[in-house]
Parts: sequence; structure tokens; C-alpha cells
Amino acid sequence: MTKPKGEGEQHQWTMVIDLDKCTGCAACVTACYAENNVPVVGEEEVSMGRHMGWIRIERYWEGEYPDVRARFIPVLCQQCGKAPCEPVCPVFATYHSEVEHLNIQVYNRCIGTRFCANNCPYIARVFNWFAPDFPEPLHEQLNPDVTVRSRGIMEKCTFCIQRIRQVEEKAKMEERPIADGEVQPACAQACPTDAIIFGDLLDPNSKVAEVARSRRGFKLLEDLGTEPAVIYLKGGDIYGV
Amino acid sequence: MSNKGITRRQFLQGTAALGAAVVASGCTINLKGSEYLEPYVRAPEHALPGESVWYATTCRQCPAACGLLVRVHQGRAKKIEGNPLHPVNEGKVCARGQASLQVLYNPDRLRWPVKQRARGSRDFTGLHWNEALNALFEKITATDPQRIAFLGGEMPDSLLWIVEKFLAAIGAPPPVLYSTHYAWEGRRVLRAVNRTLFGKDRLPVYDLANADVVFSFGGGFLSTELSPVHYNRAFGRMRGRQDRGGPRGVVVHFEARLSQTGAPADRWIPILAGTEGLIALALGRLLLDMGLARNPAVRPFYAGVNVDEIAELVEVEVGRLVDLAKLFGEAERPLAIPGGVVAAHTGGFNAVLAVQLLNVLMDNLGQEGGLWLAPNPQVGGLKPETEPASLSEVQALVDRMKAGEVDLLLIDGSNPAYSLPATLGFPEALAQVDTVITFSHFVDETAVLADYVLPVHTPLESWGYQVVDNGTDRLTIACQQPVVQPYFDTRDMGDIFLFLAQAIDAAREVLPWQNMIEFMKSRVAVLQQLGMEGNFPLDNEADAWVAWRQFGGWWTAEPTWEAPQLVWQPSQATGVTAEFEGGTEYPLLFYPYESIALTDGRGANAPWLQELADPMTTGMWRTWIEINPETAKELGVKHDEVVKVISPYGEVEAIVYEYPAIHPHVVAMPLGQGHTDYGRYAAQRGANPLRLVGSKTVPTADDLAWLSVRVKIVPTGRKQKLPRLESTVGVDRAREIGFPG
Repeated sequence: MTKPKGEGEQHQWTMVIDLDKCTGCAACVTACYAENNVPVVGEEEVSMGRHMGWIRIERYWEGEYPDVRARFIPVLCQQCGKAPCEPVCPVFATYHSEVEHLNIQVYNRCIGTRFCANNCPYIARVFNWFAPDFPEPLHEQLNPDVTVRSRGIMEKCTFCIQRIRQVEEKAKMEERPIADGEVQPACAQACPTDAIIFGDLLDPNSKVAEVARSRRGFKLLEDLGTEPAVIYLKGGDIYGV
Repeated sequence: MSNKGITRRQFLQGTAALGAAVVASGCTINLKGSEYLEPYVRAPEHALPGESVWYATTCRQCPAACGLLVRVHQGRAKKIEGNPLHPVNEGKVCARGQASLQVLYNPDRLRWPVKQRARGSRDFTGLHWNEALNALFEKITATDPQRIAFLGGEMPDSLLWIVEKFLAAIGAPPPVLYSTHYAWEGRRVLRAVNRTLFGKDRLPVYDLANADVVFSFGGGFLSTELSPVHYNRAFGRMRGRQDRGGPRGVVVHFEARLSQTGAPADRWIPILAGTEGLIALALGRLLLDMGLARNPAVRPFYAGVNVDEIAELVEVEVGRLVDLAKLFGEAERPLAIPGGVVAAHTGGFNAVLAVQLLNVLMDNLGQEGGLWLAPNPQVGGLKPETEPASLSEVQALVDRMKAGEVDLLLIDGSNPAYSLPATLGFPEALAQVDTVITFSHFVDETAVLADYVLPVHTPLESWGYQVVDNGTDRLTIACQQPVVQPYFDTRDMGDIFLFLAQAIDAAREVLPWQNMIEFMKSRVAVLQQLGMEGNFPLDNEADAWVAWRQFGGWWTAEPTWEAPQLVWQPSQATGVTAEFEGGTEYPLLFYPYESIALTDGRGANAPWLQELADPMTTGMWRTWIEINPETAKELGVKHDEVVKVISPYGEVEAIVYEYPAIHPHVVAMPLGQGHTDYGRYAAQRGANPLRLVGSKTVPTADDLAWLSVRVKIVPTGRKQKLPRLESTVGVDRAREIGFPG
């Protein structure tokens, strides 16, 4: 079948997060704030659970002192194949892209019902309770490729769609396929341990396809049937000491 | 002093050139006035509408000197990314480095030089740069050079080089450098131990990527210490071997508190703070006794070591110590890493020595996956002579100030009023100094006590270089260049001193450059003289000058780190444990640690870092105290209750966090908050744990022994919710109903 003109290649953008490598350093979190113009909401709002980070490091305590461990899991929008957030949106602000296999949030359709956030089992969606505040000259840091969301709008991780688009357009202009590793969301780019790997699962030779085959792989709340596009690799352990 | 050749009038004429824009405007500097529509036919250099450009430079948020690529769009810095070619960080960045943007675009930055009406009044009057520079010039020339003092912090090597040459030329004492961060990472102690063991005054570099069993003694190498991005990169490689058919690298972490560096480790062995050295001694002894030591030459060190006694003291069973020794001794590439906390007490030097001797015993010196010495930074005279000061040297400066022997104090890259231990009495000493001038970007605690604040360019607007002194296998001269035009009416600190030098004969001879660009260009010739193969050819000076900036630094083609050679004559181990101040009324050991977000407090004015959840507690915006849940129960305190933390030196308030992974006799607090000034995001929130620390020193290294006080906890009866990501609602409810049984 010939592709419709102007349509890009088919991709299945996938992220693999190796929990054996994650050190909880939070470089990904700040990278995301910087890339995606995520607002800082301040102490009071955070205390009310209104933190707006698109990616967060969840820390789980295991066991009791002295045999206690802490485990980190970076959690972001899982870009579900069967996303619970999508069917509940009355205005189609959140929908599924069949081309990119991404879960898209259209800000200018959103009317702020927050049904999607209510339905997201990963708590990946955050709501703008107030207009974002970037006191002058902090606004100079804003990424011109990403909309600053206004009050009453739902937002979430986009897999840095702006970076995907840029690479797609560049590859199209140069009439070549996208190379593996060419698309890097801000979190994966910053990650000092390379715990976050990003790429196209449809490309069997990509790094992401390779690590996705690991025996350590699992998906978050897999039994819900959400078909996440984020694959986690479980952390290891030693025995005998 | 040899500045007689110049009159005030001539100097004024000179400053007019430097501050031409200021003089021309003739009124308070108003950036709005300089905004006008500019057709793109006259676009500024490299500024293409709608297209971003990336400039290579060097991170200044900590001394690790990671290479950055800064995305610049229409003349504004937008994003900090890692430089993939740079040998320190190989394309990666940490949260703190990325927040450099919020130093540059911080809404509380000083926009022009100011003079304070009376110290502490916070009543600042704006100055023109020519007025400010004249004031600076007059003070420097009118003061007896012996009565001038310069207090610095983590200055770039380029700037420190200029300042020390300038001070020497005018006959003033050399700069005194103090940084809380240096003390917390144990820099002086690590170097002192390397001097003793290997005869080289260098920082260690650990080949973490190739090690297979790592024993981390309170290490903070994945958090803030030494070169955290480098070691995170190495950690990822170490763990990644399992996907390439190799053995998975394992880490065992010994610390009183499970830190962020300890969390990804495979085992955490909780021990009392200050006993890390004892564990190292016991393991060393066991390695020898079990015949696992590969280099028994240092056996005499372990003569008096009794494993049973130590096992009892550290509350780890002998059998477990034997298992650990076996794991370490039978590993192909074992590696021991001492963290800053091991160095931070009165037995710190001996404790770090005991840990490094595990590397000697396992004969991993200069081996793959072993201990190395950083490349020699003292080449070609690029590295300044001034080293971070000992606490005694800082104390001596404060004493001189107290005695009225300092008339002019210049402060750069340091916030001593916030960071120096209260017992040193810095603010009181400052009152005895006639004139205090700081070069801070912000009105911080020290600026409030100063007469003049001359705001200099932020790192992303400045020139400079840094000779990397650890965290890389090869000699690296990182290049720092402005990625944007100065946003406010500030000056490059280097330009200021080069400019002053032009007016003082003796200084002009050693600092003949007109400005930082000339100075930086002249360093290329110095690189050429090294005669080493690097990442780009140096034969053509002009090409090399371009390449140095494009690559973000020059580094050797081959590794130049050195295999340590043991020169030490072993003597019996002594005093590896900590002594604590505070009698029985202070029952808990106080463990202040560097925040992964705010470091030692420098990051507190960046909103991204304030709202960055601490990886362990998920707390932010405030100061908490980590208490073992059992201890909390005994004290009758719970999550989100405010307590007073009292040491023999002072008291602060903090919010209780019941931390399940901390020794019951230890309480921990993150550094960074408790600012009275330093901008809207930092001021008046949380507490400064430095207020509780005395001024004991680590023998031999003469550094601050910050692990040396006990505290008591007194409930206040008040509640304050710690702003944090995690919710304890379910956990609290489960506890209430007695789940799971």
C-alpha cells in the first residue's frame, strides 16, 4: 500500500527505563521542566498535590530497618495503546495518534473537565489550576517550540513530540529514514546513567528494540490492559551477603 | 605600591571606555531604552530567525567542570544539554547544571552595581559602572596592600589565576578560598591521604565503570561529590554489562543513612556515622587473614585490628563481615570508594586512609576497575597556585578581620555569612572591616553585610577555563565562553581585574591583557607549549582558538591518569572513628548532608531546584529532619511535626520526616535552606543546619569536621506539612488499623 502523500513513516515510539541503572538523580525531571515549559507552582500548591512535573521519581521503601531498601521508578505518561484517558474526554482533547502510536493532548480543545486525569491509573496527568508564573526575566528560558499552557488546561508528557516532529521533518527533507537515536526526549538525553532509552520499536535494529527484548522487562499495571509504550527493566539484586 | 604613575582623572577616562554605554545613557541603566526593532538584514552573529544554535561551554554549578552545549534561540539561552564529546560528562547533565539557566534569568539578579547606605539596611543605591570601578580602584590603591583580603569560593581557574597574580603584584596576601561543598566532599582529606599513600597531591579517580564489586563507604559519588555526572555515567556502564553478556556490577553501601547514592546499591549496611573506617579496618584484616589480599605489603597497618571487637562496635555480625570480605576479596575487580562523610570527622584522615588501603590490599591501583590518580593538573602553569584553604587559614583571616587588620575585603564566588560555621564569628569580624565589596549576582547574606555589590556576569555570560582535577582519565582544559550577550548591566569579573591591572604598573606587567578575550586567546599558546596530542591540532593558533571554543575544551588524545605507586611505610592503624561534641543531654548524632537539588545552598534561588523532589524523601521547599521511626516514637514525634534541633552551638527548627533507612542514633538534615536573603525563592524558608555545626577540624587535612556534634530533639507541638510528592495517607491509615497485622 502506498502511503498517503505527506504522511510520515510509521513509528512506534517506545521508552525503556532500566531500573537497575536509575540512581534517582532527577536530571530527567529538570530536563523535562526546561524542555516543556513546565511551571513551578510553589510550596502551597505542592502541599495540595498539585505538583506539575511530567515525570517524577517515585521512591518505594522495601522492608524494615535494618533490612530496608529504597527503589526508584521514574513515572511519566505511559503513552498507552489503549489509554483509559482517551474515551472519557468529551471534546476529543486527548486522543490516540495511529501514526505515531502516541497519546496526544490538544491544549486548545481542552475544557478542563479533568475526566482524563481521573481515569489515568498512572497519575500522569497534571492540571493548571492557575496561570503559570514566569516572573521577568525567567520567561526568557521558555522553549519556543512548546506552548505555555494556560489556566484550566490539562497537560502531560508528550514524549517530546516537538523533538520527534523536528527530526521527522528533517529526515523527510533529506529524503532518508530516521536514524536510531536521532530522536531523544529531554529526559533520555539528560539521563546520566542511560537508564532511559528511547526509539522506534518498529525498527528491529534500534537500541530500544534490543533492550525491550530483555528478560527483565515489565510494564506498569500491565494487567489493566492499557498497553503502555513504556517498558521497565527490573532492578537486580545480589544474594549471600 | 607602584600605581603612582596614574592619576584619578586618567583612571576615570579609562573607566569611561569600559563603561561607555553607561556614560552615554547618563541615567539609571534602563534596558527597555535599548529595545528597538532590528531588521534581520543586520542580524547579530549566528542569530538566524527561528533557528537555534548550540554553544559549547563549561558548567559552573559545581567544580566538576562538565561540558555543556547550550541551546540559544534568538539570542536567549533556552536549554542546557551535555556535551557528548566532553570526557567528564559525555553528553549528560545533572539537575543542578541545567538550572544554570535560572541563575542567568533569575528575577532577583542584581541588574547594576549598588552601594548600600548602611550595612544590613538593604537600602541599595544604583551606581554607574564607572563610579563603581572608581570606588573599587580607589579603595584598592588607597589601602595598605597588606590590609587587603580576598575571600573566594569555587572560582574558575582562569579567574583565580588572574586574581592571584593581581594580588601578588600589588603586594596583597593571596586569596583565601572557602566552599562548604569542598568540605562536604572531603576534597582536602582525599588529597592529603593520596599525598601520604602515593606521594602525590591529587584527587582520586575511580574506574567505577569497569569494577565488578564496589564497596561504597558513605559515598556520595552519585549525588553531589567530586564529579557526580561522570560517576553516574560510569555506574550505568557498570550495570549495563549484564546486557552485554558480562557480570552485573554490584555495590555494597555502608552508611548511617541510606543516601541517594546508597539507594541503587544492592546492599545497604547501616552503621553508626563515623565508624566507616572501622568497617574498612575489619574488612582489611579479614582479607589478609582469609588469604584474599593480593598485596599484603601493608599488613603492619592491621596489626592491632581485632575483628570481633569491631563487629561488636559497629553492630555487624562477624559472619556477615566474613561474607562481605569474601565477596570483595573474590571479586575480579573490587573497588572501595570513601565518601565525604568518611572524611568529615576527627578520625577522618585515618578513616579515608583505611578505605583506600582496601584498594591497595586488592592491588587494583592503576588497574581496570581500580583506583587511579587524576591527571596532573599542574601543567603549563594554567592551574592557579592557590588551593582551597584549610579551616585554620579561614580562621586566621577572620581573626585578622576581628583584630582590625583588614581594611578592604573583596568577596567573590562565596557566601561566607551563610556558609561559614557560626563559631568562626564571620559577621562580627566583618563589622571591623572598613570596606567590604562583593561581586555577587544576588543580594545574598554576605552582600547584605557589604558596602558595595558589583554584580559580575553569570557563568553563561563569562569567559574562563578550568583545568579539570578529577572525574576524567585525561588532562582536560575545559573552555567556558559566553553563550549569550550579558542580560543585565554587569561586567565580566576577569575584565574588571584585567582593567584594574592596566592602571597599576606592577600588575600590568604580569597581566598585560586588555580583556578576557585576549587573555583566553593567550592561553592557546600555553596549550601549544604542552606539546601533547589532543582532540584537535594546536599548531595553528587561530584555528586552535576556534576549536577550543567549539569543542568546549581541549583534552589529550590518550588517557593521562596515573597509576598510584605506594610510597607509604605502613604503621599501625590509629583513631579512625569520630569524636562528637555534646554530652549525654545530646543523644543523637547529627548528620548534615548536601542536598541533591540545592547543593550547599547555592541552588536555593532556582525555582526548578526548590521544587525538585528530593529523591529519598520527595520533600521540597523546606528543611526536614530525618529520624528513624523507632526513634521518632521514643521522642513522641511524627511526620509533619515541627521540632527544635539543638546542638551545643545553636538551634534550628525542622519538619520531622520518619525515615525508615537511618540508624536509630543518627538524625540527618539536608543543607541548602535557611537563607535570610538570596532572592524570593530562597529567602525565609527552612533552616540552615550549618548553624549547628562547630568548627572542629580533621587532623592532617585541617578541613572542617562537620560530622562532630550531637543534637537533641525538642518537639514544639506545632504541625507543618512538608511539601512533598509522596502521599502518606494510605500508609498512615494502614498503621491506624494495624495493617498488615
